[in-house]
Amino acid sequence: MIITPRSAVRIGLLVLVAVVLQVSFFSYLSFLGTTPDVMPLVVISLGLLGGALVGAVCGFATGLVLDSALLETLGVSSLVLLTVGYLAGRYREGTEISNSLLPPLVIGGLTMVAAAGFAAIQLMLGVRTPVSLLVLREIVVQGLLAGLLAIPFFPLIRRVMRPAIVDDFEARRARSPIARSAARPGRVRGRRMRRAVGASR
Amino acid sequence: MYRKQVRRRRAIMVLLIVAALVLLSTRFSESDGGPLHSMQRAVASVFGPLEEGATRALKPARDLINWFDETFQARGEKSDLEAQVRRLRNQLASAQGAEGENRQLRELLRLDRRGTLAGYTPVTARVIGRSPTVWYSTLTVDKGSSADVAINDPVVGGDGLVGRITDVTRGTAEVSLITDNRSAVSARVLPNGPEGVAEPEVGNSSNLLLDYIDRNQAIHEGQIVVTAGWSNGVISSAYPPGVPIGEVSDATVGEQETYQRVHLRPFADLRDIQFVQVATDGPKRPGVAQ
Repeated sequence: MIITPRSAVRIGLLVLVAVVLQVSFFSYLSFLGTTPDVMPLVVISLGLLGGALVGAVCGFATGLVLDSALLETLGVSSLVLLTVGYLAGRYREGTEISNSLLPPLVIGGLTMVAAAGFAAIQLMLGVRTPVSLLVLREIVVQGLLAGLLAIPFFPLIRRVMRPAIVDDFEARRARSPIARSAARPGRVRGRRMRRAVGASR
Repeated sequence: MYRKQVRRRRAIMVLLIVAALVLLSTRFSESDGGPLHSMQRAVASVFGPLEEGATRALKPARDLINWFDETFQARGEKSDLEAQVRRLRNQLASAQGAEGENRQLRELLRLDRRGTLAGYTPVTARVIGRSPTVWYSTLTVDKGSSADVAINDPVVGGDGLVGRITDVTRGTAEVSLITDNRSAVSARVLPNGPEGVAEPEVGNSSNLLLDYIDRNQAIHEGQIVVTAGWSNGVISSAYPPGVPIGEVSDATVGEQETYQRVHLRPFADLRDIQFVQVATDGPKRPGVAQ
């Protein structure tokens, strides 16, 4: 990802909208007894699209904004999100994301890492009350929900960031006639038929 | 070139981790009026109107999604509620008799007959934000110091105790719910009155634990638990006495334990709460900062 002032503004707006949506919308929802957390999803997506440095910086900034908006302990979310953003970026730098199922899987897995990391920091900081084993269920369900939410949200974030992405595999694949014909054989056959019909006229 | 890039990346990563740790430790060590707290309040003030607008605009979508979840839950709750109605009908019959006696005794003793929040000025506030993690059970409400909301003011919902104010900006306030891991409420079991401390169990927001109840005390499922509101003249509970918290859902005693393990089901629907009442300008409670 090329970071220009314009792409930085896009990332900033993306983070801002995500924080407002999280606090005012997603935090009110409940699936399988758990609240979906889209903040790791956004940071991991940015890491997958922009690399380790972009992921880490976005994670730190997102955590700072989130903790400030909710008046919570500053630094906890930043530490967790910068770690998962960095890990997502490192993964992207070492692997070509050629399968559209890969980002949701990576996002689901790293969201579980983020939820476990958040729990570990809280336990290290000291929790005065008993901790239920349901926290483990919370971590797993958070990961599953993030993986499911990534199916519509990762392409959306990629679309928002498309002008800044250097190596956009999806765009490259869409331009490739071989991949296009392999992905949509019916349509190619239709075109051939139309061409044949056109030639015979 | 590549090595230089790697070195730069590592340096930035280390810098960010150190910055996060410095923020974390400074936030813990500084006072409520410190620079980091002030900065957070400034950011929260900016986000307040945005959260309020988004909360109102997205309510129909939120309600639609929650409708599916609630429909599944409602099927399971139906039989429980039927049993509860039967039990409450019996309790009502005995309570009506006791009410008459109570009225006469109060008149005799000339006690205050007003509600449990007598002496407070209630301020109705809309919930505009909430924390996404189980580790912080907090809400953001749209009333702040400009509406006389102050730190440690009790917050109630239509059904019972919700929590207390833990931070205030000019236009918003943070409410720590009774299910937040920093919460502990002195509580009394009705009608015979053993007292304990109602604490949350992190990860299980539909359950509170009532601690320090002696193993020999008889506690039964369905008993109502209210705030004790104790004070010894030097320190006091932040909550006034008599505010309903929840009902006993289970009570067990371990072989070697001094205290019972009493589980409570909170009355207030803390997951789906839209409006709360902040009890402001209350009587001064010794030892409670305001």
